[in-house]
Amino acid sequence: MRTSSWRSMLRSPLVVIVALVTVWFIATFLIFPNATLLIGTFFPDGQLSFRAFEKLASSERAMNSLWHSFLLAGTLAVTVNVVGIFIVLVTDYFAIRGARVLWLGYATTLIYGGIVLAAGYNFIYGRYGFVTNAVGNWFPDIDRDWFSGYFAVVVVMTLATTTNHMLFLGSSLAKIDYQTIEAARNMGAGTLRILWRIVLPALRPMIFAVTVLTFLTGLGALTAPIVLGGTDFQTIAPMILTFSKSSSSQDLAALLAIILGLATIVLLAMMNRAEKSGVYFSVAKVATPLQKQKIPNQVTNGVVHVLAYALFVVYATPVLLIVLFSFLDSTAILRGMITWDALTLDNYATVFGTPSVLRPFVVSVVYSALASAIVVIGMLFVARVLQKYRNPVTGLLEYLLHIPWILPTILIALALVMTFDRPQALVGGQVLTGTTSLLLVAYIIVKIPFTLRLLKAAFASVPESLEDAARILGAGSMFTLRKVLFPLVIPTAAAITALNFNSLLDDYDAAVFLYHPLYQPLGIAIKASTEGENNLDSMSITFVYTVLLMIIMGLAMYLVYGRSGAATRRARRRASRG
Amino acid sequence: MIRFDHIEVRFGEHTAIPKLNLEVKQGEFFTLLGPSGCGKTTALRTLAGFIEPTKGEIYIDGQAATKLPSEKRSVGMVFQNYALFPSMSVYENIAFGLKVRKTKKIQTGALVAEIAGQVELTSEQLSKNVSELSGGQQQRVAIARALVLKPRILLLDEPLSNLDAKLRVQLREQLKNLQRELGITTVYVTHDQEEALTMSDRIAVFNHGVVEQVGTPEEIYNRSSTEFVCTFVGAMNKLSSELVQRLQHGGGTALHPNKASYLRLEKVSLQPPTNAAGSIRLEGIVTERSYHGAHSTYTIDCSGSMIRALVPEGGAAPLPPGSRAELHIDPSSILQY
Repeated sequence: MRTSSWRSMLRSPLVVIVALVTVWFIATFLIFPNATLLIGTFFPDGQLSFRAFEKLASSERAMNSLWHSFLLAGTLAVTVNVVGIFIVLVTDYFAIRGARVLWLGYATTLIYGGIVLAAGYNFIYGRYGFVTNAVGNWFPDIDRDWFSGYFAVVVVMTLATTTNHMLFLGSSLAKIDYQTIEAARNMGAGTLRILWRIVLPALRPMIFAVTVLTFLTGLGALTAPIVLGGTDFQTIAPMILTFSKSSSSQDLAALLAIILGLATIVLLAMMNRAEKSGVYFSVAKVATPLQKQKIPNQVTNGVVHVLAYALFVVYATPVLLIVLFSFLDSTAILRGMITWDALTLDNYATVFGTPSVLRPFVVSVVYSALASAIVVIGMLFVARVLQKYRNPVTGLLEYLLHIPWILPTILIALALVMTFDRPQALVGGQVLTGTTSLLLVAYIIVKIPFTLRLLKAAFASVPESLEDAARILGAGSMFTLRKVLFPLVIPTAAAITALNFNSLLDDYDAAVFLYHPLYQPLGIAIKASTEGENNLDSMSITFVYTVLLMIIMGLAMYLVYGRSGAATRRARRRASRG
Repeated sequence: MIRFDHIEVRFGEHTAIPKLNLEVKQGEFFTLLGPSGCGKTTALRTLAGFIEPTKGEIYIDGQAATKLPSEKRSVGMVFQNYALFPSMSVYENIAFGLKVRKTKKIQTGALVAEIAGQVELTSEQLSKNVSELSGGQQQRVAIARALVLKPRILLLDEPLSNLDAKLRVQLREQLKNLQRELGITTVYVTHDQEEALTMSDRIAVFNHGVVEQVGTPEEIYNRSSTEFVCTFVGAMNKLSSELVQRLQHGGGTALHPNKASYLRLEKVSLQPPTNAAGSIRLEGIVTERSYHGAHSTYTIDCSGSMIRALVPEGGAAPLPPGSRAELHIDPSSILQY
């Protein structure tokens, strides 16, 4: 029997423990730090003050960063959609020769992103990058900073952000009922008209959703502007980082973070509203799988093929160069010349043979593994309780657990730093800032909404009758959970763990605020390697880190998406034959 | 054996069952029949202990069972979608309840083998995963799992609805035979009138949470006590008041032209009956004939009133559309409400 009474929750000791831990976690790490940040900004001396606003208005750098952030977000909303929709169409909609290979090239950003991607582009096209050095050999007067500022940030972030299109828009496209396309063709519509009038309108809600996500990514961008923005193109997030380092400008950092948070909340609210009024994909009881469309016009077909492969080169080149450079010493990269002799395993030997060099990698693996495991195990119980007991109390808890979803990571990290830099009763009077635990807490916080949503959906997808069947056969709630429900949700939990692990491995946004100096994670080490010519030795090491990251992430992505993707393709092939 | 005593079930503002009084006898195959949303599954789930009634009491073997948790009621249940545990093998599914009761392995094996034999599952099938079985085999597993604990009552919630027509007919015979062999009191939920009529000892017809009639299949079919039961069970002609008046003048003096009047299709004969006493003869034009294999259905226009007749095949030559037809109706077979 499903129950909605909150009193019935209290009959189970397990539920009571889960509820108590959840309430403590929400109060301590989700509400208290953000409230502290707000109070510290607007009530610095116990009275309402708008001093932070005045400081913001009078700071040219801060105002510029606000303008740059919105400019970047607006630009990305256009460029990412153009590239992303093109990628989805050439890999999933049109019959393009070698579409699988193209997909692999475009999917490279699934296995490297954030600081790793920005550093990779910097090492290839930046001031001391291989391409810049190679071209400099022929044209010594070249502007060595050609790949920096607004242009470089837009290019890198455009390529990095199309992953949303590949994952979400691609799956939406697959849900279009092919019979609607056949019906349109039967009525005389051509390829372009079908695309414009049938396919794209069906994808409109998802395009809107990924546009909002892209806009938010641009708004909160940290790594690309820091590594490639140069002095002239800094956005809100790097400014927050800069201002937070001085106590005199911490309120300004907090205000910028709050502005970022408010913009995020408004945009996500818009997205939710659009989702609710959205047009959905198929009204057919049995949707026919989509079949790839031939482009009948030879010239158009040729142009689309050329563009698709040109884009493939743009995506694949950095990955191939990173793998190649991981075998080169930094002087060869600096000279812009590659010889057979320069290819060695020395960099790998250095990474695996020198504990201090391997340390950031190990630190990140440990942090990511711990955070991923803790959040998934914790949310397994929380999701179960929220799904089983639907009442105002659990409803409120669920809303509160989604706080990290609407707040940028930088804001969460800054709030944690500013709150736990003094003893706090909620954590037993401990000071957490400067300890190794605060970064772990931050990682757990940022992964809660994603994990909770997917696990709750996994529990909800288990037919209610299974639990009823177990109950009528005499099984208690723990026995049912262990023997019936967990085996069914564990595959989802494992996939979430892998995805969480991947996304935390090269984190920079939270780490830069919260890392322990003796336990530098990978993101911090990679960022350090991009700073100036003196760090060129560490450039080669970063290439090795990147290759290792790509292997781990590629493996995790294959385990999560690869096998189900193969099953989908088999189903599609069967449908096209049948 | 089972008694629903003034049971009321509410979900928030919605009342699914306003007041249910019902008795099921020991060893009886009792069916709750009705359209979707009529409250029959709610009544079954209340009996199973999945829903707590807002008012009333359920008695099992004379003992109040309303507050008893489902596992203490000694009921086995087969769900509409079978609710087999997908992560377990067929054997593990059937043995689940025994494992919960910490039954010894040897005894579990013997009990599983015994019930598997009764529902015609092979030892090879026992080691398979449930997803490897056909719909019919999965249904057998669900029945075996429900029966292995030897419950006093078996509850079946539309267990045949996911099967194809031929298998459905085959399995309902097997299910009825199994119930008869075990002598287990069975409460069966279905919206399929044919299933209800062929399998049940008694039927309760539900409409909007209310029991319209309880009776044997023959009583339900031939002596429907309400207009809803009459129209829900079996195919019917609704007679116009003009036609009823004509029948009244022709000899059906007990008929009331102002009442809703119904006549079953098979009660309309196209051949003069052997005993024509009391039978009224009408004439009409055949407008349509549908062939169903064992019988045909004719639609006949009797001066503006359309009447359908069910005629077994193998008798007189078929009447093509447009031909004249003689209809013979016994006014006593007309049901009025």
